[in-house]
Amino acid sequence: MGKQISIFVENKPGKVNKITGILEKAKINMKAMTIADSGSFGIIKLITDDNEKAFNILREKNFLVSFQNVVVVEIPDSVGAFHKVAKILEDRDINIEDAYGFIMEEGVKAALILKVAGADIPRVEEILEKNNYRSIEKFNV
Amino acid sequence: MFWNEKEENISEEELLSLQLRRLAGAVERAGRSSYYGNLFAGKGLKGKKIKNLDDIRDFPFTTKDDLRESYPSGMLATSMDDIVRMHASSGTTGKSTLVFHTGRDISNWANIVARGLYAVGVRKSDIFQNMMSYGLFTGGLGLHYGAEKIGALVIPIGTGNTERQIDFFKDLGTTVIHVTPSYLLHMGHVLEEKGLSPSESFNIRIAIMGAEPHSEATRKKLEETFGIKVYNCYGLSEMNGPGVAFECTFQGGLHLWEDNYFAEIINPDTGQVLPEGEEGELVLTTLCREGMPIIRYRTKDITRFISGRCACGRTHRRIGRMKGRTDDMFIVKGVNIFPSQVETVLMETPGVDKNYMIILDRKEGLDILSVQIEIRRDFFRGDLYQLRDLQEKLRERLKHVILVTPSVELVEPGSLPVSTGKAKRVIDKRRL
Repeated sequence: MGKQISIFVENKPGKVNKITGILEKAKINMKAMTIADSGSFGIIKLITDDNEKAFNILREKNFLVSFQNVVVVEIPDSVGAFHKVAKILEDRDINIEDAYGFIMEEGVKAALILKVAGADIPRVEEILEKNNYRSIEKFNV
Repeated sequence: MFWNEKEENISEEELLSLQLRRLAGAVERAGRSSYYGNLFAGKGLKGKKIKNLDDIRDFPFTTKDDLRESYPSGMLATSMDDIVRMHASSGTTGKSTLVFHTGRDISNWANIVARGLYAVGVRKSDIFQNMMSYGLFTGGLGLHYGAEKIGALVIPIGTGNTERQIDFFKDLGTTVIHVTPSYLLHMGHVLEEKGLSPSESFNIRIAIMGAEPHSEATRKKLEETFGIKVYNCYGLSEMNGPGVAFECTFQGGLHLWEDNYFAEIINPDTGQVLPEGEEGELVLTTLCREGMPIIRYRTKDITRFISGRCACGRTHRRIGRMKGRTDDMFIVKGVNIFPSQVETVLMETPGVDKNYMIILDRKEGLDILSVQIEIRRDFFRGDLYQLRDLQEKLRERLKHVILVTPSVELVEPGSLPVSTGKAKRVIDKRRL
């Protein structure tokens, strides 16, 4: 099962900078980041090469953080790759609530991160693995 | 220039002997209520006669908490059959404080309001647009009855709906308005945006301003913007409502109607009555009220008596503009709010941490109340919807308790002052 870190941030200049600075200092490599914005505040979602360490260090620095289980699968970096995954899930009535991703190797492979509703994460992973999609637990190099 | 010259121009000796007679009656009537009956019996004051005005100092003060504890009718001094009206103000713990009036109480109240309105130039021929809330709040109905008593045409429009307010200004030729300073400031902005000159578009001569403290500078600004005269009116629901004290055309303080109220200024820390002219907390006793007499009520408002006779000729002494409060109450859109009301809601709502901050600000003349909160660590699931739900829930719950819709701001943990000791919980950025 993949993990993502969610961080509560006020919508003010310098907030992202502070987080990225903390991660740099701790030598944590950010793999993906996305921000959900709700006016005066937002939630930063983050995947790193050491989520445990990133979570602990942000918590120490007084950030409001939480760990979340998410589906992380490897897909080819090619046209229609995400569509195939979306189709598999749609056929089983699984709703994608949130999705983002990043390229792991240009033209070869990418990581797709999914928050789903309608089935629990192990079940979704099982479905995707049956279709030859590898789940990624960690991005440690 | 008097509504009732005999009452307003009463000689000092006559006023003092009238006060003494009425004070004795007020104490006697109060003793008929279960609250004061028990209190007086417990303090050995049962049957004690008031022989001179200073005798009242032997009696204990009454506080808002006492009113709340006697909810609903512990201070009622007549049969419920004799009551014709009830008003209420919001309570800090959910319970309102109620005030009951007999027919004569309402008539006396209307009389002193008419007195105040007449003193600032309101006449039978006036068109009086009452831009204050009606209902349990006393601001609307209090002035309504007084203006009607004078014979003015009263438009009971209430607060809000600025477009319609402006239509009535124009179409009916409104000459007198009763309004909060913040709402009148807001209307100034709206009119300017519409390209209407506030001073030249209407027939308004007089604004009666109440329910919110404001500075002399704000009065001047409103007088200039609208080309009108602005007069202060003071009151509180426990003492009927607006009209306890009223300015006259000299604008040199508010005449406190001493034939209806016995006033003392005390040191709020010691409870000692202060020498005349010194600043302190205003304490009031209802002299005429039948339904619910209140003895030595601590208003928590800070003021002083202004020495000397007013040039208008009225004998009733004047008090200065309210200088502030002895407690942490604040006023938003004319509504009295205590931080403890906000705190109670926050602490009852799962997910909210204990530190909070209330920010008062003003945008285009309108009051804005923001409540900043921190989210509890164990509550946060990293979900945007969860936080939006929390915001919405708090907004609804707060509105229900404080009667004003706040904006709820979620802030990062540790960014608000910690709740140990006497942390300052209210920041008022408004300049009134």
